[in-house]
Amino acid sequence: MSYRLLTIRALRDRLARHPAGRVALSLLHVAVTAALPLLLLWLAGCSTEPAPRDTHSPVSDNGEISSFFYSLLLYLDAAILAIVVAVWAYALVKFKKQDGDDTLPEQSHGNMKLEVIWTAIPTLIVVAITVPMLVGVFKMSKRHDPNQPVVEVDVTGKQWWWEFDYKNGVGAGLHTANELHLPADTAITLHMTSADVIHAWWVPRLGGKRDANPGRTYPMSFTPKVPGIYDGQCAELCGSSHALMGTKLIVHPIAAEIEVEYKGQKVKIESYDSWVKAQQQPAKAPVAELEKGLKLFKERTCPSCHLINGLEGTDVAARSASSGPNLTHVGSRMGIAANTLVNNPENIAKWISKPSAVKPGAKMPDGLVTPEDAKTIAAFLSSLK
Amino acid sequence: MASVADFAQAQAPVYHQERPAKSGLVDWLTTVDHKKIGILYGTAGVFWLLIGGLEALLFRLQLAKPDQDLFIGTQYNGLVTMHATTMVFLAVMPMIAGFSNYFVPLMIGARDVAFPRLNAFSWYTFLFGSLVINASIVFAHFPAGGWTGYAPLSTRAYGNDGMDFWWAGLVLLAISSMVAGVNFVVTILNMRAPGMTLMRVPVLAWMMLVIQFLLAFSFPPIAVGLIFLAFDRTFGAVFYETAMGGDPHLWQHLFWLFGHPEVYVLILPSMGIVSEVLPVFARRPLFGQHAVIFSGVFIGFVGFGVWGHHMFTAGMGPIADAVFAATTAVIAIPTGVKIFNWLGTLWGGKLTFPVAMLFAISFIPMFTIGGLSGVMHANAPLDLQQHDSYFVVAHFHYVLVGGALQGLFSGIYFYFPKITGKMLSEALGKAHFWLFLIGMNMTFWPMHDLGNRGMPRRIYTYPADAGWNFDNLLATAGVFFMAAGTLIMVYNMLNSLKNGKEAGRDPWDANTLEWMTTSPPPAHNFDFTPVVFSERPLFDHKHTEDLAIPVPSEAEQIHMPSPSWKPLVVATGALLIIVGLLLFNVAPLLWLVSVAGALTVVVGIYQWVSEPV
Amino acid sequence: MSAELATAPGHDAGHDDHGHVSAENNFLGLPNIKLAMWAFLGSECMFFGSLIGTYFFYHGKSLGGPLPTQVFSLTITSISTFLLLMSSMTMALAVDATRLRKLSQARAYILATAVLGATFVGFQIYEFSQFVSEGLKLQTSLFGSTFFVMTGFHGAHVTVGVIWLTMLSMLISNGKLNKDKASVTVEVAGLYWHFVDIVWIVIFTFVYLLEFIK
Repeated sequence: MSYRLLTIRALRDRLARHPAGRVALSLLHVAVTAALPLLLLWLAGCSTEPAPRDTHSPVSDNGEISSFFYSLLLYLDAAILAIVVAVWAYALVKFKKQDGDDTLPEQSHGNMKLEVIWTAIPTLIVVAITVPMLVGVFKMSKRHDPNQPVVEVDVTGKQWWWEFDYKNGVGAGLHTANELHLPADTAITLHMTSADVIHAWWVPRLGGKRDANPGRTYPMSFTPKVPGIYDGQCAELCGSSHALMGTKLIVHPIAAEIEVEYKGQKVKIESYDSWVKAQQQPAKAPVAELEKGLKLFKERTCPSCHLINGLEGTDVAARSASSGPNLTHVGSRMGIAANTLVNNPENIAKWISKPSAVKPGAKMPDGLVTPEDAKTIAAFLSSLK
Repeated sequence: MASVADFAQAQAPVYHQERPAKSGLVDWLTTVDHKKIGILYGTAGVFWLLIGGLEALLFRLQLAKPDQDLFIGTQYNGLVTMHATTMVFLAVMPMIAGFSNYFVPLMIGARDVAFPRLNAFSWYTFLFGSLVINASIVFAHFPAGGWTGYAPLSTRAYGNDGMDFWWAGLVLLAISSMVAGVNFVVTILNMRAPGMTLMRVPVLAWMMLVIQFLLAFSFPPIAVGLIFLAFDRTFGAVFYETAMGGDPHLWQHLFWLFGHPEVYVLILPSMGIVSEVLPVFARRPLFGQHAVIFSGVFIGFVGFGVWGHHMFTAGMGPIADAVFAATTAVIAIPTGVKIFNWLGTLWGGKLTFPVAMLFAISFIPMFTIGGLSGVMHANAPLDLQQHDSYFVVAHFHYVLVGGALQGLFSGIYFYFPKITGKMLSEALGKAHFWLFLIGMNMTFWPMHDLGNRGMPRRIYTYPADAGWNFDNLLATAGVFFMAAGTLIMVYNMLNSLKNGKEAGRDPWDANTLEWMTTSPPPAHNFDFTPVVFSERPLFDHKHTEDLAIPVPSEAEQIHMPSPSWKPLVVATGALLIIVGLLLFNVAPLLWLVSVAGALTVVVGIYQWVSEPV
Repeated sequence: MSAELATAPGHDAGHDDHGHVSAENNFLGLPNIKLAMWAFLGSECMFFGSLIGTYFFYHGKSLGGPLPTQVFSLTITSISTFLLLMSSMTMALAVDATRLRKLSQARAYILATAVLGATFVGFQIYEFSQFVSEGLKLQTSLFGSTFFVMTGFHGAHVTVGVIWLTMLSMLISNGKLNKDKASVTVEVAGLYWHFVDIVWIVIFTFVYLLEFIK
């Protein structure tokens, strides 16, 4: 049975067909109702704001598995909590000592039958949730069938940004940063690693996170299903700018361009192939006043860390653990500084003129460019679509 | 009918003591009395609780709204690291040590612990450890690598200078805990009053026995991990050097092999306190006492086999994930048994609700919430989403604040009269209880929602459009309620010392031996060694003619341990060894301080074993 | 009730710092100091378990040499291992002598144990300096770090034992250890000494010998 079929709703419908199931359902209903005050407080948070990074609106097969277990355990936990709280509250009210009653209650030391029952029931529940959970563990760690087309990307965490190297498929050889573009309905394997400390790449709507360990590589395989733009960020404490190590996942449709909603706005997403084609182009040589930006870019030693494919003198940097993001198509990205700022010339200028003011501890040094030069360079970088 | 007044008839025992107790400050510096050491631990615990709370308050202010810059980057990480380190090692653990020191000997009818001077040594190493960790802010910066200290973020290349103070302080705390663990294992196993078989040992003392085993056996792995870190940072060893083939999983395994038993070290004593308080105010025995004890022992054992559930995202592979997920799920069973037994204790009782009881009963649902979200984390596929998110933060705060801390508060209100002879104000106590309960839920409940909304933990800022604004504001507001409640408690304690009502021997009409002696108890604890006939010796003394504890007519001859400077001397030596290693980073020649420390330890121990006690 | 009293184990109302106890006066029938040593040795098992476990976790993962087989000298280590084993024998003789209340004889055996232990430490210092001269330092590789820290902490334990035994012999000379309590005190030191020995047997077998079997 696939996880998709076994939703809570399907389970409920199936139960409702049997008399015993109906009794169980009504008991569950009572239990959930008793837990409602707590749930309401929880939901109070939900109702006021949208949740763009909801962990339980999954857009991949892995996310669906996580969400399935969340719903299952949420209902189970709510039922158990409701029973415990109901018994507890009833006992507190019912067995309150009456004024003037100084007699001792019955001095019972326990009840073997009860003890056995309330050891057995949790044991059964634990077994019942552990077995499907083990299936889920192996399902989520599955490797894709090597005979089917798989898009493989090396994901490298660096203080404090993400580097993506496309290993195969139409996009083989692409190097991008912070924004991961993937085709929908395609088997994906990300190989997680790190160049410095431990990071964890987490896009909540996609599904689970995996640590990016230095000196280790671990695969994360999944199939994204819904085209769209999804925010995420590093989830493992990685130093001073841990909070500002954002990432975006852009799931492209395979065929034609579509329109999706992102942060309340309509955004067009081209097909994966056409995104790849655009990325494979070398950078356009700057013309007119933008040429000054390129010149400054080279003068201020930017190319010793940042590569721009196809422009003379800017593709000298050897890629290393300490090199910065590839800027060949930086103008086409939605955000800069690992999704910390919206990508526009003003923000680029702000970022490069004093990086540490945007991200504490940033590796790009302060004072490389004056605010004036920064504007010129920013205009050039923005043109690299 | 017999009553506690009978015990006032007993003759005070005749002392044999090599050197009489001193007075004033010298008394507190040289004391080997488990009660005084307990008070020292407890006071230190409450002090650090306030500091750790203040740190939380500061970083919650930073998180109250999106895009703030009150504490950013390493400042924020330092506050978070110190909040957790302080709360776990410097607040909750010494509060537990306080109860353990003060009450374990009393509960088992002993005159002191097995090794009184070793006990004083544990206290001083704890004190020095706590001071070393906090000295980081004076001489350098707060350690900023998280309380989990994950390598390589904690190494010289990526970690800040505060991490040196962090490992140094933790090594001292580890020594303190291991020594105390051995001491109390022996005390509880060997020093019980006549007739107190293991099954008659009060549940709190039982839970203390379990955690002392956990301390003795779980601290060595983290000590080894910290030693590796110290060698990496100080002498250039390569344990965590990934460029040399070092594996970041090594630290995680060593840390969590300690870290998970540590979770039970924090919660089991509070379960013990609740198991003592509920029967007293329900007027009936603990339901299924043996089941409660055995489930605690079981949790302690299994606690050593579940550490990998902290590493589901680390990439251990599906087989390790599956094994650890399954063993973790098993922990739910004994935990459930305990909860049901507490409910069984309430059921059919005649309940009264002083503040100690309020905290004990609110422990049940609050801890249950934390336990149930723990069941979610045991589910590895789901944990891939919840790990390192605010959902986990909500989980462990329900367990540690709703569980451990509320249990300790219950213990404070329950035992304060015994320790000081004065009652705490019930009115102030109720204000504390309600403020704390409301504040706690206001702070930690929304964190479940934050986790579901994809907010990672330990981030110092967040964008306004991520959907995290309302929950964060609520969480920050709640901290003020908790802070107000805790301050009221501190005021209540200070005020009661002066103005509190006299408590008498047995203010709660309680069940166990500690209530048969005076409040506060004399240095020798009991005028005569009680003989124990049941698991509720004092209750049965009061209610069952046959089981009255006989009061001997003659004075007992007892030998009392003498005060000693030696524990302080040896602990100072240990401190110097550690300080020398820290100074080695400043100037290599200063390692001579370590040599001086080692000599102090050797000479101190020789004098220790030579001095008559 | 009287039956219960009769079965209730005896109890020492006092305490027994540094082992002045009599074996009857406690609940488990084991002197406090001995029980404490067993608990401590359990803790030590976790300590050395973590150190040795780390050595094997990193075994063969070093980037670059020297390899264990290139630096280990089985001849020298076998001699030092033999000396340490002999020290366990003299320790056992010392415990036996205290039981027979022959303190001066016990003192001689204790000193012999200390001398053998100190010689073992001397061998270890020599071995370490050999390794360093052959290019294996703490900082060289994972092998260097794990090996030196593991065996170094074992050597530190032997050193602590040597100091302890020296103190014991001083206490006997000064007459501060009376014949009644000497038996337990020396036995506890013996427990520690044998444990440290056993740890070395494990290290010698699995770290040294196994390296040459492949």
